[in-house]
Amino acid sequence: MRLAIAVLLSRWDRLSFSRLRELTGETDGSLGAHMRRMEEAGYVSVDKEFRDRKPVTWYALAPTGRRALDAHLRALEDLIGPG
Amino acid sequence: MSPDANSDLGYVREVVQRSERQAMPREILWLWAAISLVGFALIDFEPERVGLYWLVAGVGGFVLSAWLGSRRAHATGQESRETGRRHQLHWAGMGVAIFLLAFSADGSSAQPTARTILLMVALGYWLAGVHLVPALKWMGVLAAATYVALAFLEGFPYPWTAAAIAIAAGLVVASFAGGTAGAER
Repeated sequence: MRLAIAVLLSRWDRLSFSRLRELTGETDGSLGAHMRRMEEAGYVSVDKEFRDRKPVTWYALAPTGRRALDAHLRALEDLIGPG
Repeated sequence: MSPDANSDLGYVREVVQRSERQAMPREILWLWAAISLVGFALIDFEPERVGLYWLVAGVGGFVLSAWLGSRRAHATGQESRETGRRHQLHWAGMGVAIFLLAFSADGSSAQPTARTILLMVALGYWLAGVHLVPALKWMGVLAAATYVALAFLEGFPYPWTAAAIAIAAGLVVASFAGGTAGAER
């Protein structure tokens, strides 16, 4: 799940919590837990705003997250490559 | 690779593909339907004002479309400067090419120049359909068909008005096809 979120955030500049929930099909609680862990690890940056008096949380991939994603993708390539 | 890793990567691919199917705002197509309706019909009624009209409406429409696209991305909760830039470069390129063609055209041959511009519009829509919004491919086909039909409408009293109606109707129909959506979200 966190790999999918990181890949999505590397493809797009920023995504809202509700859009991430829509794309991943996760519940609020499960996605919230994943996002909290990614935020604590410094992988994502968070930006909050109000739209029509409702809070909207935006996520973007932080430089640490981008480096971690690159390393993970390289590891996956190594796994697939020699086969 | 293990079945688990395979399934994980399949899930990632599916989620990313879903995000790529971001809709184009219908308002942009309605805006260009209105601009095209007036702009092409003007060739029949006020040919001397067509250039100025397209200069003002074209630039204004481009700026308004960029704003509508950015507003839609914000409302959807999915923003990308790169995607916006790709759309802007495509349409700005077409606009500049049309401006250069009109600017360098012989003033006594407005009809052939207008037809050539219509063919460029057809190519612009076709390429937008191939690379940006699939529903616009059919607009490219419709504009090309209109270009061909104009050759057979020599004796017709208002050929460009008929073309304007066809283009505007095509854009309205395309706005309800897949790959487009209202900005209600």
